[in-house]
Amino acid sequence: MKEWVVETRNLSKKYKGRYAVSGLNLKIAKGEIYGFLGPNGAGKTTTIRMLLGLIKPSGGTIQVFGQPLQKHRMSILKKVGSLVEYPSYYGHLSAADNLEAIRRIIDVPKQRIGEVLDIVGLTKEARRPVKGFSLGMKQRLGIASALLGSPELLILDEPTNGLDSSSILEIRELIKSMPKQYGITVLISSHLLGEVEQMAGVVGIIRHGELVFQNSIASLQQQAKGHIALRVSEAQRALLLLQKYGIDAMLSDHRLTIGRTDDETVAKAVRELTNEGHSIYRVEERRKSLEELFLQIVGEGGGLS
Amino acid sequence: MTAGRAFRSDLLKLKGKGLWLLAAAGPVGLIAMQALNYGLRFDYMQKRYAGNAWGGLLDNIAVFVPIALLMGITILCSLLANIEHHTSAWKQLLALPVPRTAVFAAKFAVAVMLLAVSCALLSLGAAALGFIFGFGAGDMPGAEIAKLGLYPFLASMPILALLLWLCMTFRNQAVPITIGVVMAVLSIFGMSEWLPVNWPLFAYTAPQREWFLGAGVIGGAAVLALGALHFNRKDVN
Repeated sequence: MKEWVVETRNLSKKYKGRYAVSGLNLKIAKGEIYGFLGPNGAGKTTTIRMLLGLIKPSGGTIQVFGQPLQKHRMSILKKVGSLVEYPSYYGHLSAADNLEAIRRIIDVPKQRIGEVLDIVGLTKEARRPVKGFSLGMKQRLGIASALLGSPELLILDEPTNGLDSSSILEIRELIKSMPKQYGITVLISSHLLGEVEQMAGVVGIIRHGELVFQNSIASLQQQAKGHIALRVSEAQRALLLLQKYGIDAMLSDHRLTIGRTDDETVAKAVRELTNEGHSIYRVEERRKSLEELFLQIVGEGGGLS
Repeated sequence: MTAGRAFRSDLLKLKGKGLWLLAAAGPVGLIAMQALNYGLRFDYMQKRYAGNAWGGLLDNIAVFVPIALLMGITILCSLLANIEHHTSAWKQLLALPVPRTAVFAAKFAVAVMLLAVSCALLSLGAAALGFIFGFGAGDMPGAEIAKLGLYPFLASMPILALLLWLCMTFRNQAVPITIGVVMAVLSIFGMSEWLPVNWPLFAYTAPQREWFLGAGVIGGAAVLALGALHFNRKDVN
């Protein structure tokens, strides 16, 4: 039995008669990086705000560290660091003062400010007013604020939104190191699969407020299994031949496609076709990319499992 | 004490915002106005308030205290709330392990502190002005001068609590600022002792000052509690 850091049951939020989130059952295990995926407006931020107690659910329950959020909000939030949507900051204060304003509330040792500035690489800019920072620097300050209280759970909502590719890489490495170095569980939301698949072990995909997929990245990759495409001289006849030998095939666009990609099946198909005098021009393996699969999941109605 | 921690955090956020300057500007303005009033027609004023020079000066100042106080409250509350509204810092602040009531109370305490400095400066300024005009130190009504600063301030607590709540609730500050300015203008006219906007005026000018003082403090506590209750429950978007 895994230890769930976050577990929601039937979590729902209704705005003016419309469900922004409905029947959500999130399960996030300890020490995991959980990628929370979905298109813009699918309900990611609403869910995250509920996990932080910023908004009240219309229904369902939230357990964090095994305790109900509503009853133990203060003790839970002590162990949670968060960055919700675009970063919040006090523009007239320096980076160090921004962190000090938070530190005075959460009451951690002063040296933590230097430590977190160092982690996100802002030590040199600590004394400058934040209003002059680039978006990437503000985002990193936001992550520093989230880390200030040495959290056990880090909740990052679109932390790489609007960053350039080198900053994205930096932040990705930073997030990847969290579970290994500090044993932190990370929930990271994004509307881009490509961004999450390189960090997350488990992904949850939300669509129109409903969770349509929740499993490991590996199993998502399995779902994205490929097929073999054959280009032959006489496609129509070749199709009948393959079917005669019990190989499921389809004809589309003058190509034969075989759903099974194991070596046996492919060898047999090629063998029988050449024996019958077909010319085989191409044998290609085609894999659906994860991105395509993701688009299929969020685009179409049905979930996968 | 969590409210104390939130208060110390709010003190830091005042840095470089010019709020202290604003708190000083109000009383300085009121005193400067009377310096001008007396300076232009000193002999006439001397004759008019013969035998009651100090009382005359204080009465002249007192007329403008309510409007200045309520304007100051409006601007101050809006600026305080805007520190958090500006970059939607509420979501970060309220996701910290601090009760929302403590956050609300801390903001109120900061506003009270700034206004208390204003009102103390007003009393000091009034005394200084009297000395400059050569009113006798022996006749100086020390208690009255202190009450000029303190009483209207305490009687304005319900309005302070209301405006602070409005400013923190509405992201668009046009609503609370409009309400604040209208109340400030109305506060000059002694319309009815049942209207809280008139309490700052009556707390100094009415015969039974203490009634308005008490009503202000009790009413302020009630409005503050209601505001905190709502702030505690609302969704933070």
